[in-house]
Amino acid sequence: MALTAGDIVARIKMNLGSPWRDNSTRDTFKFGSASTEVKGVATAMFCNFDVVQRAVEAGLNMIIPHEDTYWNDRDDVTIVSSDPAYKAKVEFMTKHNIVVFRIHDHMHSQRPDFTYVGAARALGLDSKYETAPQSHRFVVPETTLEALAADFQKRLGARAIRVVGDPKARVRRIQLGVGYATPAVNNAEVDVVVSGELQEADGNFDSPEYVLDAVSLGIPKGWIMLGHAISEEQGMLEMAQWIKSFTPEIPVQLVRVGEPFWVPR
Amino acid sequence: MHSISRREFVSIAAVGVLSRQVQTPVTASDLVERIKQRSGVEWRTNTVDTFKAGDPATIVKGIAVCAMPTMDALKRAVSAGANFVITCEPTFYSRGDSASPAAGRGNAAPVADPIFNAKNEFIKSNGLVVWRFSDHWRQRKPDPLSIGLTDALGWSRQRAADDPARVTLSRVSLDTLASDIKKKLGARGGIRVVGDPRLNVQKIGLLPGTTAIQAAIALLPEVDIVVAGEVREWESVEYARDTVTAGGKKGLILLGRVVSEDPGMKVCAEWVKSVAPELRATWIPTTDPYWRPS
Repeated sequence: MALTAGDIVARIKMNLGSPWRDNSTRDTFKFGSASTEVKGVATAMFCNFDVVQRAVEAGLNMIIPHEDTYWNDRDDVTIVSSDPAYKAKVEFMTKHNIVVFRIHDHMHSQRPDFTYVGAARALGLDSKYETAPQSHRFVVPETTLEALAADFQKRLGARAIRVVGDPKARVRRIQLGVGYATPAVNNAEVDVVVSGELQEADGNFDSPEYVLDAVSLGIPKGWIMLGHAISEEQGMLEMAQWIKSFTPEIPVQLVRVGEPFWVPR
Repeated sequence: MHSISRREFVSIAAVGVLSRQVQTPVTASDLVERIKQRSGVEWRTNTVDTFKAGDPATIVKGIAVCAMPTMDALKRAVSAGANFVITCEPTFYSRGDSASPAAGRGNAAPVADPIFNAKNEFIKSNGLVVWRFSDHWRQRKPDPLSIGLTDALGWSRQRAADDPARVTLSRVSLDTLASDIKKKLGARGGIRVVGDPRLNVQKIGLLPGTTAIQAAIALLPEVDIVVAGEVREWESVEYARDTVTAGGKKGLILLGRVVSEDPGMKVCAEWVKSVAPELRATWIPTTDPYWRPS
């Protein structure tokens, strides 16, 4: 019997371990519908055009992205619908019978939150260093901010990691954030925050400016921004493995979006 | 010819015949009133452009203008003889700009913070007054942030006469252009690029500061590349990437918010001189906050 996108979403809801919240505007179908027949599932960080094309090449027509499809969090198509890239993307998705169902809010409320599991795995932040399960705070052997950032960069194969702080600052207490959820750096118990991205100023709590002032005062603080895509993409591997565990009859795999940036010489 | 107030006339007339000490003293709030009157934009009631630290009744000895008032920038302001600081970005790290730490996530009680304490102490002991000028400065026409950025990039003759955010260059590869921009702005780790490095670029659109997807969607189809300060990565970065995937010969260069605003505050310092000709106004440049591991 053919498996539909609706069947897979029902299994996700059943296996989640907590009630589904129908008031989430994020975790809904973004293209196609529950009745679309599914040949295979691609989990992805963003449902970008390249991911859709590579999913089709791999014989997968259901995309389960963590983030948006139409370049805004609400996936409001009225903002983008006159753009040529939107038109090309939708035409391609229609032609290839694509169905897109986003999993964001429920992924973050799931325990464990795979975005953190994946990020910690990829960064080499072993659970033996975590102060308590799911505290996302890791106390590692003392190192320098420069050595820590270089280690992360190497492990991720990243090009455009951005760091604020004194490279020689001696650090050991790391608070891991993911995506845009950057932990507060003005926490006396934290030396370094690691996350995807955060606005450079005008945030609710703090900013790189706080870390620059810490440098002036000789207080060891660091701010490591990995980029949104590579920060949360790692956990989409765990998401694929989890979906595969209750969807054994079709292929399920992570399709990586990779880092969007390169850096000039 | 612009009109000048009686007070300004008296001040200007006094230069050359009287020493600075016997001029009518000007307070920080006097200066802000002048700025409001001369800004050319209607002053908003809901705005971040307010006093952030110090006593507005302080007599101003000199003015420092900066994009971000770090401890380092404040020290340089004091060295330049300034006690009134005009800044584009917050002083105390958040939009609320409270001089003590905000309650933490989940409303955790704020704790004494050595960095807030040191900054408050420095401001107090040097008698500084800090005032933010962001909402209204960036609303001026023509856009002073784009004027500053194009000046800093050596594009003042390549920008459109009616819109400084539009630049037409001789053909150059995205790779070469990005390296050139990095060098001219003294950028470090904050500059990041989306698109084919070999892309030929002639038409450039600027989006200094922080902008939402609507701005990129409106601009990118009209130009070869957008040079922006800061965008949300799930918005304009993925939009640029999808445009390239769809076959669009396009690119996006992100400079970082503060790096993109910094030259616009140099323009602000020049403008402030015209508003307060009896006082010295000094631009305090800011460096790229980011570096990259080697």
